[in-house]
Amino acid sequence: MKTDLTKLTITEAHEGLKKGEFTSVELTRAFLDKIKEKDPEIKAYVTVSEELALKQAEKADEMIKKGEINVLTGIPCAIKDNILIKGVRCTSSSKILENYIASYNATVIEKLEKLGAVFLGKTNMDEFAMGSSCENSAFFPTRNPHDLERVPGGSSGGSAAAVAADLCVYALGSDTGGSIREPASFCGITGFKPTYGTVSRNGLMAYASSLDQIGALAKSVEDARIVFEAIRGIDKMDSTSTNLKKENDLNKLRIGVPKEYFAEGLDKEVEGAVKNAIETFKKAGAEIVEIGLPHSEYALACYYIIAPAEASANLARFDGLRYGKYSEEDGGEIIDTYLKNRTSGFGEEVKRRIMLGTYTLSSGYYDAYYKRALKTRTLIKEDFEKAFEKVDVVLGPTSPCLPWKIGEKSEDPLSMYLADIYTVSVNLAGLPGISVPCGSFEGLPIGLQLIGAPFTEDKLLSIASLFEKNHDNN
Amino acid sequence: MYMVSEEEIRRIAKLSYLEIKDGEVETMREKFSSVLEYVKKLQELDLSSASETANLSQAENVFREDIGIEKNSEDLLKALSKRRDNYLEVKKILYNED
Repeated sequence: MKTDLTKLTITEAHEGLKKGEFTSVELTRAFLDKIKEKDPEIKAYVTVSEELALKQAEKADEMIKKGEINVLTGIPCAIKDNILIKGVRCTSSSKILENYIASYNATVIEKLEKLGAVFLGKTNMDEFAMGSSCENSAFFPTRNPHDLERVPGGSSGGSAAAVAADLCVYALGSDTGGSIREPASFCGITGFKPTYGTVSRNGLMAYASSLDQIGALAKSVEDARIVFEAIRGIDKMDSTSTNLKKENDLNKLRIGVPKEYFAEGLDKEVEGAVKNAIETFKKAGAEIVEIGLPHSEYALACYYIIAPAEASANLARFDGLRYGKYSEEDGGEIIDTYLKNRTSGFGEEVKRRIMLGTYTLSSGYYDAYYKRALKTRTLIKEDFEKAFEKVDVVLGPTSPCLPWKIGEKSEDPLSMYLADIYTVSVNLAGLPGISVPCGSFEGLPIGLQLIGAPFTEDKLLSIASLFEKNHDNN
Repeated sequence: MYMVSEEEIRRIAKLSYLEIKDGEVETMREKFSSVLEYVKKLQELDLSSASETANLSQAENVFREDIGIEKNSEDLLKALSKRRDNYLEVKKILYNED
């Protein structure tokens, strides 16, 4: 029987390409066919770049013939629709950018292109990365491949669903408060958010610049590592980027389990799966240390001040004049054009976050909200610093709940925000975090989150790998 | 629950360059207020001795040589909503107050 090429990991596909078992064009066609067959029900892609993908695949096959193969050459991937690929439509799943064609490449795209990557298309997301379910896309919700009635998580929900449904080998996403890890958890795959600054944000549409980070969604920890190694590094176009890297000094593995992560609001199915994961680490010889992250309960409130505040500034650039939507009507003043374009171009959640940020930054409220949030952020960061004096990684659930039914939480923004309760503090403190599958309940995947100290991704990934090898997800 | 007033919602919308239609004000008020109520949780904390963290970047004063980069401006100009030669055409932006 011929193997299904769409099921391969990066490492497996690379072996096949290297040995000449199949070409990149064949591999790419297998994915394009599968997208045609399955994406109408999953709806992971906003744009499929078939022509570009086949051109890149041909180029990759030439590279391979010449012996210029590296591990990502000829491997088809999907890119979240807030990362620019020159000449390809880039919408951030927003009406205001519905017709925007990217005029340059993001740095991560340049890097992948040089390695001979193949871009299958752009994936659906919550508009401007604001959401945890992909329901805030201005175009359509993406469906969870494990249950089409349910959300895939968000905001990188299209990327997660595409990986889980074998509509690509791996995908890029962005993570501002959990937007890679939570959908990875909901879709039963691996999602890795590196330390703030390790991957250039040039060409990523900014949501909250002090929190945003690009990372990989993949079928294994090893694949996530490969993609991270390919896209990391200092970039002159992003002055916050860095080459910093801490050595992997792992002797006796110590895992920190914060008592605050097992409090009220955690689904018992999720709790059970995460406790099983702890057992796996125990059996593998790790020492389990109970730790305290006393300011955890303030992380979400802190995040929902800082992220909207930064968003209100970042999204001020969208007026529909230099790119995107434009109202053709004459008459009135320029302010009317701004109002018209922004009001019809942004969705409800985006408007609310822009207004919330404008409010907390405005005169009279700045000290009470924004300044307090910046101070709380310091306390959250210090909690982790103290923890990492005692442990190598912090372990907990990625999300407190299982993927919910589409529409179930759309009327109450707060109930949706709560899905991010374990992920936002990682962005506030700028840490690397990874979600790996650790079980399921009635077919719905459950993710385990491992959090590392800044710039210890080597250690974090090797611990995640150890877990992946030793844990039985059933 | 504390509710932001309708006037306040309209004021913030104006500051944000957004228009809230009459039929949408109530929903916006409710959802906006519920999030605001939640983030007020930070008032519980004693933050008198805490420093502020606005950014985690360890970089300070990143310098570069002041050199021009060759770019094809046509790529950017193509995206303009209304173009005249190499300019973006917009409505009048300066006018008398009266």
